[in-house]
Amino acid sequence: MVETRGLTKHYGNGIVAVDNLNLVVRRGEVYGFLGPNGAGKTTTLRMLLGLIRPTSGSATVVGGAPGSPASLAKVGAIVETPAFYPYLSGLDNLRLLATYCGVPVERVGAALDQVELTPRARHKFSTYSMGMKQRLGIAAALIKQPDLLILDEPTNGLDPQGMADVRNLIIELGRGDRTVLVSSHLLGEVELMCTRIGVIRKGKLVAEGTIDDLRGAATLKVRATPADKALDVLERDAGAGNVGVQDDGSFSIKVDLERTAEINEHLVKAGIAVTELRPDERSLTDVFMELTGTEGGL
Amino acid sequence: MLAAFRGELFKVARRPAVWVCVVALILLAVAFSYVLLGLVYSHPPKGSNQNLPPGTTLSIFLVTLYPINFVKETLSTWAGLGGVFALIIGVLVQGSEFGWGTVKTLYTQRSGRLAMLTGKLGALAVVVLLMVVGLFLATGAASLVVASLEGADTSFPPADVIAKGLAACFLIYAFWAVFGVVLATLFRQSAMAIGLGLAYALVFENLVFGLLSLIGGNTINQIHQWFPIANGGYLVESFGAVRVRGINTGATPFADATHAVTLLLVYVTAFIVLSAWMLRTRDVTS
Repeated sequence: MVETRGLTKHYGNGIVAVDNLNLVVRRGEVYGFLGPNGAGKTTTLRMLLGLIRPTSGSATVVGGAPGSPASLAKVGAIVETPAFYPYLSGLDNLRLLATYCGVPVERVGAALDQVELTPRARHKFSTYSMGMKQRLGIAAALIKQPDLLILDEPTNGLDPQGMADVRNLIIELGRGDRTVLVSSHLLGEVELMCTRIGVIRKGKLVAEGTIDDLRGAATLKVRATPADKALDVLERDAGAGNVGVQDDGSFSIKVDLERTAEINEHLVKAGIAVTELRPDERSLTDVFMELTGTEGGL
Repeated sequence: MLAAFRGELFKVARRPAVWVCVVALILLAVAFSYVLLGLVYSHPPKGSNQNLPPGTTLSIFLVTLYPINFVKETLSTWAGLGGVFALIIGVLVQGSEFGWGTVKTLYTQRSGRLAMLTGKLGALAVVVLLMVVGLFLATGAASLVVASLEGADTSFPPADVIAKGLAACFLIYAFWAVFGVVLATLFRQSAMAIGLGLAYALVFENLVFGLLSLIGGNTINQIHQWFPIANGGYLVESFGAVRVRGINTGATPFADATHAVTLLLVYVTAFIVLSAWMLRTRDVTS
């Protein structure tokens, strides 16, 4: 659905906004494009929409060149804050876009219903709250009934309820064949919405995969005394290479979590006092911080 | 391209600022050229005949307000001043897209950038045409009222003269509107574009060449003939001056109408090409 090959954008002042980016977004997935502020997410999305020309590299978006009429006909997008004509109502703004896109204006009503904006549709855009503007932006992206939705930070500026609404809407929109490419620096949001994610840092893609792939397999965390005796038992059970000793004195064991009860039984039978025994999953936050060296979005 | 044109028409038709400019021009033209001057000419203030031929008063100028002269009168005053309104409309139509950030919304729809520009210029041409037709209808009607009140001849100029007048005014306004578009595209905003556009329209060309002509004479006119305001003037002067008894009211244009029309068309074309080039090659980062 989206494929970039060595996509690069340099600005005149020596800034490398995007650096040799190779990205693949497959049909039907909700792809999270994750990175701290200034990592190059928006520049990448703008290049995919033909708003910015890459310095080098290329991209294919729904089978066409970025920004080509053939590609744009199948893409709905919000780039940063949705921008509309303030003197027109929400309804007229969407009618206008339907005219530009050459799609039947009858779709406007359905799109407004979908984002629950129908009651305010005849009010001027300039009177809309941030959440309503964002929802109008999504409705605008939907009137083309696009194969690909590109949403750049769609929950920016929203209150918690608005964020939850937009998040649920995106999950809904991502069902079926439609592909959604959503950028965000909010980890919890991405975790809830996306089937696969790519992490960008300083313009480079530093990781890509499912959330489980990126987190890695869960380990078993054990805290027991005496520690030396516990280590012997655990190494016997899981293999010496699979037991790590943490700074706080606990053990991290790479083992099938189905064996938790069995390991506990062995420790107890050996006269070892087990004070903690639980699965230990790396959070996406841990992964993000590790990959980007930041605490962006947290 | 047709979709872009229809979309742009939809926008300008609903944009109050555009019609405020159109209506303001028409009201000003009627109020200043016909109501105010009509009152002054029909009721000349004392002492206002000092520079006139003996035995005459300002009332001899009433003839300039009669229907037979309304094309010349409208062009001589409002082809220039009205250009300012056309400039503002051109800037607003293009510059606001940058100010509101809607340029990214426009360019992520189906049509390409050049199709969008073509649609915008088409809608702008419709607005300018309506502005010119509205201006001529209003001044024509006002001239009819003045002649009727004065009991003078109410006949209008031949249709071909009116048509040429409309075309000349349209070309001059089209130049200013496209000048507004190119400035707004260059600066990616309205404020700077309107500021510089007005500075050029009201000050720069006339002031610079006015001062230079004091020292350079004909040489300066030779240079000035390649500038747009001068050519708007030549085009207006090609319609001739209103004949007022005993007064020499017109100067012979430095260049003819063909030269003026050609130059203005060259400017319009150059500005459109320049706008298209900037829109096509620049990144949209706002």
